[in-house]
Amino acid sequence: MTPSISLRGVGRRFGAAWALADVNLDLAPGVTGLLGPNGAGKTTLLRLLATALSPTRGQVCVLGLDPAVPAERTGIRRRLGYLPQEIGFPRGFSAFAFVDYIAVLKEWTQPAVRHAEVRRVLDLVDLGGISTKRIRAMSGGQRRRLALAQALLGSPPVLILDEPTAGVDPEQRAALRNVLAELARTSIVVLSTHQTEDVAALCERVIVLDCGRVRYNGQVTELVGRAAGRVWLADAPDVAASASWRTGTGRYRNVAEHARAGVEHVEPSLEDAYLLLRGGTRPDSGDVREVLS
Amino acid sequence: MTSWHVDEMALRRWIGRSDSLADSASVEQHLLWCDQCRERVNAAVTGRPAPGVVDLGDMWSQIRDAVELPRSSVFERLLQRAGLPAHDAKLVAVASAFRGKWLAGVTGVLTFVALAAALGDSRGVWLFLAVAPLVPCIAVAFSYDPKVDPALEPELVTPYPALRLVLLRTVAILGMALPAVALFGLFVPGRAPYTWLLPAVGCVAAVLALSTWTSSLRAAVAVSAVWLVVVWSLVAQAGSPDVVLHARFQIGYLVLAVTSTVIFLVRGRHVREFRPRRR
Repeated sequence: MTPSISLRGVGRRFGAAWALADVNLDLAPGVTGLLGPNGAGKTTLLRLLATALSPTRGQVCVLGLDPAVPAERTGIRRRLGYLPQEIGFPRGFSAFAFVDYIAVLKEWTQPAVRHAEVRRVLDLVDLGGISTKRIRAMSGGQRRRLALAQALLGSPPVLILDEPTAGVDPEQRAALRNVLAELARTSIVVLSTHQTEDVAALCERVIVLDCGRVRYNGQVTELVGRAAGRVWLADAPDVAASASWRTGTGRYRNVAEHARAGVEHVEPSLEDAYLLLRGGTRPDSGDVREVLS
Repeated sequence: MTSWHVDEMALRRWIGRSDSLADSASVEQHLLWCDQCRERVNAAVTGRPAPGVVDLGDMWSQIRDAVELPRSSVFERLLQRAGLPAHDAKLVAVASAFRGKWLAGVTGVLTFVALAAALGDSRGVWLFLAVAPLVPCIAVAFSYDPKVDPALEPELVTPYPALRLVLLRTVAILGMALPAVALFGLFVPGRAPYTWLLPAVGCVAAVLALSTWTSSLRAAVAVSAVWLVVVWSLVAQAGSPDVVLHARFQIGYLVLAVTSTVIFLVRGRHVREFRPRRR
């Protein structure tokens, strides 16, 4: 049986506001990207999947286990790696000490085996050479990679990552993509990001959230394909475009809801498609794919 | 007899039959009379280290351990000597409440109020009575609140039972704070030092119980406020701080401690999230 995650009618409320409403999803091994504006519910969804939050309504099932049942929740946590959006580090810790500490919490009780695993994950994120460095002396990108290292402990079958590449330099981002792609051969990797290029490079599937609802759930290529014929370059911003910006060449890239003829079309990117999806419909209307097709 | 031996790469190529005919013949000639290299072949094939042959991988691990492993804190070593397994001792010692600055702050506050009480001023005694039981309960709150323990979210989603982690830290804090409260209580004239202990345990248990509904810091603030009001009203009625430590109230503190502990143990099994921070 293929390991999977499913959500049925899931909603989560904070006070009077619904951060997530009526979410139905099925996730299988591979990398799934989560896109959406700030406040769309991405972090809430990831925290639900990571068992850090419980849904106000609906059912979550991770690898056949129900996180509402304490024993099954522990079972999920044994198979889970989680990188929160904001992570703090205990004061005075070195990189090695921090990952070692999380490894203890993840039930790696044999010191020799644990230390070998800590070294492995630190090497994976290219921090093996500075494992004795104090965390407070590390750069933001190094801290982010350290936070990712703790999530990779034990090569978990479910990996939940909230903005894993934020603040990481392009070279390291490429290296991290390789690590995640390798892990995604057997694991379910769900990552949230504002970097559409990360999703385009890494994810087979993308989920776009807006106002706590799923606006798109499908193949990245399909989403990009929907923008074909709707992206063009021009010497000036086009009034018909729903988004327009000046590129490095001095020309303007225009993205519009409706296909345009007689203009210099260019290959659409995921960012173009995402902008179309966001601009192509009001936030409270129905399925955006109908609007685009 | 010679000190020359087949080098590691050549040996591996010979085992893997990936060397040239001439190299292969050379290695075989050497193996005919060299026991040590035959042991190395055996070790390479079976995965067991050859006797007398240095395992470089193992040696490298030991070197890295010596360089990379953080030195255990004094407190961590104390916990291990007290019988706590090494990994549990590590988890307990990480709590913010065991950091030097915090301990120095607690010692400073207790010194101040104990001195005030020792000078014979009734307000000083009142102050010690009000502060002493709150020290351990604030320390407990500080040991696992997300605002104070910044790594709480990844900690929370590990399979390690949160209830056990909280209890371990609480017991460790009580093990340090209660003797300190009792010790400083010696300076307060006319009262046995142990009379401060039950109110302290009752407050800690109440914080734990309330933390299953709200954040531990809020719980500590609420318990502190209630405690101060209770002390103030009792002192105002009786005119003396002694009444708060009277036997009948000690029974009340005991009941509070037992009831709160039961609530915490029952509800704590199901708690899996701390209150999210508002964005």
